[in-house]
Amino acid sequence: MKKLLQSVLLFLLVAAAWPAQAQHQLGNSRISGDFGFNGMYYIPDSLIGADAVDSKVRANAFLNLLYSNGGFSAGMRYEFYQFPLIDFEKLNYKGQGIRYFFADYKNDFIQVTAGNFYEQFGNGLTLRAYEERQLGIDNSLLGARIKITPYKGIYLTGVWGIERLNFDTYVGRRDFVRGLDGEINFGEMIPKIAEKGFVFNVGGSFVSKFEKADEEINVTVFPGTDTVRQAVIATDKIPQNVPVWAVRTSFGYKGFRFDGEFAQKMQDPTVTNDFIYRKGNALFLSATYSMKGLGIAASFIRADNMDYRSQRMMKTNSLLFINNIPAINRQYSYQLLADYSFASQPNGQIGVQLQVNYQIPKKSKIGGKYGTDLTFNFSRFHNIDRQWTPEAIALGTLSGTDGYTSNLFKFGPDLMYQDIGFEFHRRLTKKWELTLAYNYITYNLELLQGHEGIMRGHLVAADLLWKVAPKHALRLELQHLYTKDDEGSSIYGMLEYSISPHWFFSVGDEWNYGNPDKAHKLHYYNIAAAYVWRTTRIALNFGKTKEGILCIGGVCRAVPASYGMGLSVTTSF
Amino acid sequence: MKKLILIAAALVFSATLWAQEPLMEKNLAKLPAVTIQTLDGQPFNTQDIQNDGKPIIVSLWATWCRPCIAELMAIADEYEDWVEETGVKLYAVSIDDAKTSARVAPFVNGKNWEYTVLLDVNSDFKRAMNVNDVPFMCILNGKGEIVWEHTSYAPGSEEEVYEILKQLSKEK
Repeated sequence: MKKLLQSVLLFLLVAAAWPAQAQHQLGNSRISGDFGFNGMYYIPDSLIGADAVDSKVRANAFLNLLYSNGGFSAGMRYEFYQFPLIDFEKLNYKGQGIRYFFADYKNDFIQVTAGNFYEQFGNGLTLRAYEERQLGIDNSLLGARIKITPYKGIYLTGVWGIERLNFDTYVGRRDFVRGLDGEINFGEMIPKIAEKGFVFNVGGSFVSKFEKADEEINVTVFPGTDTVRQAVIATDKIPQNVPVWAVRTSFGYKGFRFDGEFAQKMQDPTVTNDFIYRKGNALFLSATYSMKGLGIAASFIRADNMDYRSQRMMKTNSLLFINNIPAINRQYSYQLLADYSFASQPNGQIGVQLQVNYQIPKKSKIGGKYGTDLTFNFSRFHNIDRQWTPEAIALGTLSGTDGYTSNLFKFGPDLMYQDIGFEFHRRLTKKWELTLAYNYITYNLELLQGHEGIMRGHLVAADLLWKVAPKHALRLELQHLYTKDDEGSSIYGMLEYSISPHWFFSVGDEWNYGNPDKAHKLHYYNIAAAYVWRTTRIALNFGKTKEGILCIGGVCRAVPASYGMGLSVTTSF
Repeated sequence: MKKLILIAAALVFSATLWAQEPLMEKNLAKLPAVTIQTLDGQPFNTQDIQNDGKPIIVSLWATWCRPCIAELMAIADEYEDWVEETGVKLYAVSIDDAKTSARVAPFVNGKNWEYTVLLDVNSDFKRAMNVNDVPFMCILNGKGEIVWEHTSYAPGSEEEVYEILKQLSKEK
C-alpha cells in the first residue's frame, strides 16, 4: 500500500514537472495545472482549547492537471489528505487519491463530459455541484453530462452521477442523482429583443435522487418526556426516488434586472427534517437597479424543508448536498465577525437583503479628487412559521407525519440574523486611503450555533493605507466589537507591510478583553510573512486561532482552536 | 510522520521547479475557451476576449474579496490614462456565484468602473485557468498570448502592470 502511494506520488511529480521542462503549448495541445500545500505544526494550548493532537505535523495537498487540445480537454486532481489539518479531520475529509478526473469534448452544438463534473441549474435550488476547497466541500458528480444548444438561445443540459463523499471510493454506493435543465434566452433567439435593451430568459429544471431503501428507520417519539418510546418507519414507506423541480425567469431592461425562481421538493423524510413527509419549497427573488455611480440590489429568499442530499441518514453539515439554498446576506471578511456570520438554513429561513452602493463623483466638492464610495446594507432573516399538524401533535412527534403547515409569506417568530451596516471609502491623497465601517449585528446563537442566547453587537472598523514609497505600503486594520452577550467585546489590530509585488509581512492580535470569564480574556496573536512570485505564493505564519466558524459564501464549518506554525504554498503553471 | 515531511518537501521542491520556468517563452499560452456570461446574462465565450491587437488585462475577482476590490479600485484611478497611452482593455471576471452574482452589476456601477465585467458563476473559467485563489490577474499581448500572470495584490503592484503595458504597446 505504502509502495503504491509512493509510486503514485512519484509518477505525479514527474508528470507535473514534465510540461514545465517542455512547453506549455505543443501545437494545439496545452498542459497546465495548479498545486497547493497547506501544512501546520500544532502546539497544544489548553487555555484556548487547542488540544494535543496525535500527529503534530499535518498537511493538505493537491495537484490539478489539465490537458486541452481544441475542443477536447481532460483533467484530474490528486489529493493528499492522509494526515489532514485538524479541521478537515473533523469533517472526515481524510485520505488520498484521485477523486476528480474527467474528459470533455465540446463544439458549438454539443458538450459531452464523462467523469467528475461541477454543475449548477438556475440559482442552485435544485442542483449545485461545486467545490469550496477551504471549507472541505467537494460535491462533484461522477458520471456523465451532456449539454446541447439545438437552436440559438436554447440550452439543454442532462446529468447523471454519484455524488462525491470525501474519500469514499464510490464502491457499493446505493444512491445517484439525475437531472435535466432547459433555458431559453429570448434576447439571443430574437435579436430585436436584445437590440432594444431587453433581457428575457425562462428556464426550468427537474432533478431526482435515488437511494435504495431496505432498512426501516427508528425514530424517537415524545423525546425528553416520560412517555419517550421508539417508533418505526417501515421500508415500504420510505421513498426511494425524490424529485425536485423548479421554474425560473430573468427580466431586464437597461439598468434594471429581475430574477426569480421557485422550487418544490417531493416527499423526502430524512434525518435533517425529522423524517417528515411534507413537501419542501423555496422561493428566490432578486431585483437590482444600477447606473453609473449608483447600484441598488434587493433580494428575498424563503426556504422550507429544502435540505436535499444524496443520502437520507447524512446529517454532517456540508456533506452530500445536491442543491444549495443561497444565503443572500452580505458577506464580511472582518476578523471579529467571523463567529457571527449567517449560515444558510435550507430547512427553514425567510429573509430580505438590501444593498446600496453610491459613489460621490470624482473631482466634486464633497467627493474629493478621487471620489468617495458609500455602501449601505440591511439584511434580516427569520425562521419560518411552523404549525404542527393535528396528527403530529397527537403522535407527539413530527416523524412519519406531514410535520407542520406554514404560511408562505409569514416571518417566523424568531429572528435569526440581522445586519445594518454603513461603509465609507475614500482615497484621501495620492498616498493615503481610508475605509470606515459600522455594523449592528443581531445573531441568534441558539438557532445558528445551538447554544443559548442572542448576540447583539456593534462593530466599528477602520482600514488605513499609507503608500510609504513607490511599491512600499503600510496597512493598518483596526476593529472593535462591542457586545455584552456571548463571549463579550473584542478588539483586533493588524499591521501589514508590503513590498510589491513580492513581499508581505504582518502582525496582528485579537484580544477578547470583554470575556465574562476572567481566565478567558485571551490574546490571539499572529505573525505572517508571504512571498509571491507571479502565480506562486509561499506563506509562513505563526500564532493562535480562536475556536470559531469559517464561512465562505453562506456555507460555514466549525474551526477548532489551534496554536502553531503554518506553511502554505500555492502555484499554477 | 517523516514520510509526510518528505512528501511535503518533494511537493514544495517540484513547485519551485515550475516557478523557475521562464514565462516569456515562445509558443505562449492563450486563454482557454469557456462559456461564461455577460452582466446581461448572455453567454460569452472567453476566446472572444479581444482588443484589436492591443493589450488586455484579465482579472479574476469577487465582490466578497477585499484585496481584489482594492486592486481594481487602484487601477480604476489610473485607468483613463492607461487606456489613452496603451489602448488597454480590462476584463474583470467575477467568480461570484448564484447568491451574490446578481449584486455584481450594482456593485460595479456603484464603483463607477469602466471595465468589461463578466460572470463566471460556476467557476468554470477559474478552473480552466488553474486559479487557486483570487485576486488573479494576467496580461495578454496583442496576439492574445498570456505574457504575465500574478496572484494576490499588494498596493503598488499596479505599477508593474503599467510597466508591462507600456512595454507591450512599444513592441507593437
